[in-house]
Amino acid sequence: MFKSLIRATAAFGTAALLSTSALAAGDLVITFDDLNPDKKAAFEAAVEAFKKANPDINVTANNGDREAHKNTIRNALQNDAPDVITWYPGNRMGPFVDAGLFADISDLWASDENLKGNFNAIKPTMSRDGKQWGVPYSYYQWGVYYRKDIYDKLSLKEPATWDELLANCDKMKEAGVTPFTIGTKFLWTAAGVFDYLNLRTNGYEVHNDLTAGKIKYSDPKIKATFANWKEMIERCSFVKNHATMSWQDAIAPFAKGDAAMYVMGNFSVGQYKDAGLKDEQIDFFPFPKIADVPRAEEAPADAFFIPAKAKNIENAKKFLSFIATAEIQGTWNKAIGQLPPNAAAEINKDDKFIVEGMETVSTAAGLAQFYDRDAPAAMAKAGMEGFQKFMLDTSTLDEVLANLDRVQAEVYK
Amino acid sequence: MTTTSAIVSDRYSTSTSQVLISIAVLLACLIVLFFVVDTAVVQDWLGYARREEARVPTFFLRIVVLIGAIAAAFFAITGTSSYRRNRVSYAPWLFLAVGLAFFMVYVIIPIFQSFSYSFTRWDGLYDVNGIWTGEWVGFRNYGLLLNDPNFYTSLWNNLLWLVLFMLAVPIGLGIALFLNQTVTGIRIYKSLFFFPFVISQVVVGLIFAWAYNPEFGLLSEIWGWFYCETKVNIVGNLTKVCSVDPPSILGNEHLATYGIIAAGLWPQIAYCMILYLTGLNNVSPDQVEAGRLDGAKGWNMLWHVILPQLRPATFIAIVVTVIGALRSFDMIATMTQGGPFGSTNVLAYYMYDQAVGEGVGRYGYGSAIATVLFLIMLVYISYFLWRMYQDEKGAH
Repeated sequence: MFKSLIRATAAFGTAALLSTSALAAGDLVITFDDLNPDKKAAFEAAVEAFKKANPDINVTANNGDREAHKNTIRNALQNDAPDVITWYPGNRMGPFVDAGLFADISDLWASDENLKGNFNAIKPTMSRDGKQWGVPYSYYQWGVYYRKDIYDKLSLKEPATWDELLANCDKMKEAGVTPFTIGTKFLWTAAGVFDYLNLRTNGYEVHNDLTAGKIKYSDPKIKATFANWKEMIERCSFVKNHATMSWQDAIAPFAKGDAAMYVMGNFSVGQYKDAGLKDEQIDFFPFPKIADVPRAEEAPADAFFIPAKAKNIENAKKFLSFIATAEIQGTWNKAIGQLPPNAAAEINKDDKFIVEGMETVSTAAGLAQFYDRDAPAAMAKAGMEGFQKFMLDTSTLDEVLANLDRVQAEVYK
Repeated sequence: MTTTSAIVSDRYSTSTSQVLISIAVLLACLIVLFFVVDTAVVQDWLGYARREEARVPTFFLRIVVLIGAIAAAFFAITGTSSYRRNRVSYAPWLFLAVGLAFFMVYVIIPIFQSFSYSFTRWDGLYDVNGIWTGEWVGFRNYGLLLNDPNFYTSLWNNLLWLVLFMLAVPIGLGIALFLNQTVTGIRIYKSLFFFPFVISQVVVGLIFAWAYNPEFGLLSEIWGWFYCETKVNIVGNLTKVCSVDPPSILGNEHLATYGIIAAGLWPQIAYCMILYLTGLNNVSPDQVEAGRLDGAKGWNMLWHVILPQLRPATFIAIVVTVIGALRSFDMIATMTQGGPFGSTNVLAYYMYDQAVGEGVGRYGYGSAIATVLFLIMLVYISYFLWRMYQDEKGAH
């Protein structure tokens, strides 16, 4: 009687009671965080392929907004964990790894055919405390996107060195073109420029030491980076009003032809085309060389992790090893226009940005994740505010660096 | 005689069976609530294949059992003789109990929780065993606050908001006086003036952010008439070239806060105006008449006859404006997110930014900011409560 009453209430509450289904060999709950149509479709296709390969596993795939995910993941990991969840490698996974909320999957990295041999470039960023914590499904290159038609009109060449870049900038300014566009309203775009200047001025080690809190912001090496940035701001110059623009807003002057270059990630290419630019009007070059240091690149990855509270860890591992295969990595990244972390995967040879991007990152001496993923979030926030302040008024440099030293001393404790 | 006293004693004595049954039901409900109904059990009972599907029915079951428990407690209390004897003094508390419980759980306890978090260093996470990952650091967060330039910027901006937001009161009064006349269609004008208060703060923020935008905003268009001309750029597109650049209000650290306050004033003026309009309806015509006979006109009339009668409206207008200034959060969130480089932060936004926003996760530090904001508000709220208390006393 009591049971039937409960049944009735529950049926009333849920409006529809789902029919009892036979228990499958196991469940797998996946939480994904990208609702952009192409990203969503690629993820769903991969899940379908997994279902086909493992018909006995009952897969539930949830998808949500990326920004909201950054907050909801805390609750998801602590209370109601799915079996597989997306998150960022590098220092961004640090707090969750340190709190023991991600499962250690070093055994999978040691035994899986694909993970063992084809992920060497990305393995360090997936590691913390000498163990591996996730499997990347995609990454993309950063670099300079430029208006090829403007370059041709001014008969400029892709710059390979700092001096060539500055010389190009001079010519553009003479012709009334602002060399660089950027939108720093949401801060992170400025970090892209800083990272490249720092990687080219000081190299990969210094980038890692800085984001790991081992060297100060007032260190002479970092000051040299800022000196180059100052030169870039003065001789190249960025669009005015960048502090009120998002990265998408900053595409407008680029598309219009008022600005000629954009330090950006490869995800922006689709937006240039949406803004009316044709494939032959835009092109890509790696950020030019400054000092004599091995060339490292920014190549942020997106990855899947297994929460420590996951209920179906074996199925989750099956899924991770499935998405690590060259086949899945190839089709997935072809669909979303990004690069597969699996070195054996096929890339889209018809997309010149992907071809050039693969060339750029596969020959790089090191891959940085991005300032706000390599540095802890509290440091990154203060750091990027400092970069914006410096970009708006380069004379505030000493004040900015002193403040960043202060925040650094608090955050890395 | 005997029958009456029997009835009286019966009315006030404990109805044992009612109390016992209700306590039994209450205990049963509590046991079910805490030990029986969880997702796994519901999944099992109702034959769901997966736990996720059983979550919603679990929630509804728990709510039903909770309501049962509250009802049982209610019956148990009303069955006792002590309740029956003091019905008049007990009944209000009984009805308030549920509300008070929620107020405790969602307002009072969190206040003390954030006090305690402010003495810790914590990134907001519990580890896999549910153990809190923070550490106790005493007054360290407050020490850090004293050295944090962003904190002083936020404090200064809070002060700017408090002072400049007060402009809404006199401007609202001015508009109310202006609109307080009988002309055909005055209701339409009144509702038009009231309109900004009706639309959401987020929408107001967006509209102003667009108006301020130096690339395509209303201000830059007007600026363009004087200082800019249209030229053809290198690839043949039309582009605007200015001899003097339009001000980037939200991109300039010295102007941005004023820009946001101006946007915030727009709906606030409407709010004060409507308060004064209702106040003006209650102004006694006799006194105005008497004032006229004594030769009061213009400012004298306003200052000595009208304004004293508007005192209650002024008090409420100041109260809502101060509260509006102190909780100025949505405007900042929509217009600048505290930028450029933190120069438009106020304490409320800075707290959100440090604790919850974008995974920065400095919960201890954010709680310290919240505590400071709470103490500032406490000063004002105590004054407000004291004023109310004095008014109540005066009324008797």
